[in-house]
Amino acid sequence: MKPKIFKLAAVLVLTTLVLGLFSFVKEPEVSYKCMIQMTNYTGEKAYVVVSLINPEGEYEKTLYIQGDDREWFPDLKNWWKFSNGSGENVDALSGATIGNGERNIISLGFSASHIDAGYKVRFESAVENQEYYAVDAEIELNSATLTEKVEGQGYIRYIRMVPNR
Amino acid sequence: MMVSVWRYSHLLFAIASSVFLLVASITGVILAVEPISNKMEPYSVPGADELSLAQTLGHINENYGEVLAVMRDRNGFVSVTAIVEGQNQTFYIDPFTGEKLGDLIHKKPIFQFATNLHRSLFLKSTGRFLIGLASFLLILISISGIVLIAKRQGGYKQFFAPVVRENFSQYHHVVYARWALIPLLILALTGVYLSLLRFDVIPNSNVSLQVDFDSIQEEPVKEYTQFDLFKNTPLSELRELEYPFSEFVEDYYIIRLKDREVYLNQITGEVLAEEKYPALQVMTSWARVLHTGEGSIIWSIVLGFGSLAIPFLTVTGFIVYFKRPKTKIKNAYGKHESEYMVLVGTEGGTTLQFAQELHKQLLAAGKKSHLALMNAYGHFKKMEHLVVVTATYGQGEAPASAEKFIERVGKHRQRQAFDFSVVGFGSTAYPNFCQFAYEAHEALNDSANSTALQEVFTVNDRSFEAFNNWSDTWSKEVGVTLHLEKPKSTLGPKPESTFKVIDKIELPEDDTFLLSLKNLNGSRPVSGDLLSVIPAEGARERLYSIGKVNDTLVISIRRHEKGLCSNYLHQLAQGEKLTARVVDNRNFHFPKQAKKTVFIATGTGIGPFLGMIQENVKKREIHLYWGARKREAFNLYKDYIETARREGKLTAFKTAYSRENGEKTYVQHLVRQDKTLFLDVLKSKGCIMICGSIAMQKEVLRELQVLSKEHLGKDLSHYQNRKQIKMDCY
Repeated sequence: MKPKIFKLAAVLVLTTLVLGLFSFVKEPEVSYKCMIQMTNYTGEKAYVVVSLINPEGEYEKTLYIQGDDREWFPDLKNWWKFSNGSGENVDALSGATIGNGERNIISLGFSASHIDAGYKVRFESAVENQEYYAVDAEIELNSATLTEKVEGQGYIRYIRMVPNR
Repeated sequence: MMVSVWRYSHLLFAIASSVFLLVASITGVILAVEPISNKMEPYSVPGADELSLAQTLGHINENYGEVLAVMRDRNGFVSVTAIVEGQNQTFYIDPFTGEKLGDLIHKKPIFQFATNLHRSLFLKSTGRFLIGLASFLLILISISGIVLIAKRQGGYKQFFAPVVRENFSQYHHVVYARWALIPLLILALTGVYLSLLRFDVIPNSNVSLQVDFDSIQEEPVKEYTQFDLFKNTPLSELRELEYPFSEFVEDYYIIRLKDREVYLNQITGEVLAEEKYPALQVMTSWARVLHTGEGSIIWSIVLGFGSLAIPFLTVTGFIVYFKRPKTKIKNAYGKHESEYMVLVGTEGGTTLQFAQELHKQLLAAGKKSHLALMNAYGHFKKMEHLVVVTATYGQGEAPASAEKFIERVGKHRQRQAFDFSVVGFGSTAYPNFCQFAYEAHEALNDSANSTALQEVFTVNDRSFEAFNNWSDTWSKEVGVTLHLEKPKSTLGPKPESTFKVIDKIELPEDDTFLLSLKNLNGSRPVSGDLLSVIPAEGARERLYSIGKVNDTLVISIRRHEKGLCSNYLHQLAQGEKLTARVVDNRNFHFPKQAKKTVFIATGTGIGPFLGMIQENVKKREIHLYWGARKREAFNLYKDYIETARREGKLTAFKTAYSRENGEKTYVQHLVRQDKTLFLDVLKSKGCIMICGSIAMQKEVLRELQVLSKEHLGKDLSHYQNRKQIKMDCY
């Protein structure tokens, strides 16, 4: 009787340990360096938001916000509907706006499971009193083509990404 | 151009922009604090500016795996953007070690709020346009303000000369405006520039460098620390340095220095492209720095005070405007049915009060009188007597309501004979005292059928007594009896005090007496202040100069046979009480700084000086000149003077008697005699104080004017403006 109990206890301890360990193992992160090069448009500095889009074409999460004044966030209509509704905390994700002809280099992190799984990275942009581009540029999270230059439709001239060292 | 045009445009622009300027200036004051508080953050590392870029980059690269950019802001703080644990981070570093000093300064919500309000009033583009427009109006306000100050001061050379004080608002409006002028003009000009930039009226010119990718070399390979540009450029020159995006040779360093932008091959260190910033971009950068004060504590403070001046100038400006009595004139008799014409030339309206009083009393005397502005001069069918009461503006120009007078006198001839008299109002503190009055007199003299009753009569500093003197002689000549009443507004209501008569010394043969009073309550006067006494209910107030001797007030009074007030004071017995007000007369206080002072008095005008001499415990040099008709008049003051001489409080005492032994000496003769002393006093920043009759004051000033012009080459107003000549005459 006794050995049985010991065995059971040992199994229980082991399983909890394994389960516990498993939950601590982080999903592998992939980090990319991303360059946003703006065109020579005229006007104020542009607000650009970078979001992760799931295979169904819906917003998954916000990756980066170029623009630090919340007053203008609602101008990025589609994203604002999602982000404001989901209540995610974007404070740590924002950086300074940049103007025409300038470029901004940021770092974007993805979980490995999103790569080659139909996810996309969307760049949408807005400028005070000017047109809003719901999709200024979009890149598929496809490891084969990810590092290719992608042209923008609006204030963005092109996007480049390279894996981080 | 005419003063009124400048003045109206100054006011109009101010009204149009006041609300926006107030918002912009108050937020501006708040925003002036931001660069100061930023600059005080401890991220500046002494000596770091001398490091080369190669050294700085070396230190940075040792610490961080993936660096994106290095920046140096206007405060001299160096920050790095790097990828740390997969995240973009920007923070300040110590260029000597590359270590992180602290996170980027986050714009505080209050500054964010103030910036938005300051730029666009939360109205986006509309607001930006309104603020830009207000900024432009501020330029116009400043320019019209400069012209107005120059006109008021009598020329651009006198721009920073002392300002004559009329009242608090007027004085401080001018004084502060002069100080705030430079920062305000700079703020306004740069503000307009930035607005034009915002609306693309001024093109936003960026450098756009082209790289010839076909000729990019991959050799010779050099370590980045060996790149010439990095080795030879000190950190102080840097604005921003972006690292190459990838390791491919097509990606390069982008380096923005203070004066140019450079692309640098990341493998060979060769310059791929280089361009100096266009002039417009340099200007834009300067406009930003000048407008925001970024990077300089001192300039931020200057801008802050400049901003603060706007609410102050707005308020005082409107007070000056609204305090000006409006030129509303009602006439019972039309201009063609009146024998008496009173014409006024006025800037602010104070002259009008006096003219109105004259007009009122003429009507009270049963005469048909018509009051009008000088610009209304025309043919007046029944006019027999013309009185012109006019001020002078700035450097002898016509005041606003008289700009067309001389032209109209030439054009409109009177068909009947008439006589005229011109009274000039002004301040001897300005050059060209009453200049326009003389011109008006000339013009009338040259016109047909006119007879001048008198020479031009001048009134200094709105002296009612002087105006009253003129009115007495004039009314005698035209044959009316007039009793002018002093305009009430010249003295503000002050609380009354009770005084006890403690002594009365009399000199019956000269009809003068000295009254010693003790103040039982109320304010503590200083020698030179005035005592306002109203002898009976409803009677006009009389003013007496106070001399303060050992805590008692001494007033020196001449008794007039029918004088209501002098007789009232005369009948007061020792121990009796008297109710009166003390009026502050700060323009006639003893000058604390002057090493040498000369007192000139006639008759009872010696009163305040008795106090000042007695208070001269430091035994500074004081010369007293006193004039009277007869020698015996001196007996009243003999004790005071002799004691002061003995104690060394009075350096010299000279008298002039006009009815003694056939000789007729007046104090003005003594001025000429002792000219070396007077010139010395003027040159050595001493002070000349005059108290007594207005006739004497005019004669003495004339003598001094001659001395000043001949020997010092300056107009006497120069010294008067510096408060070296003080007067209290009646």
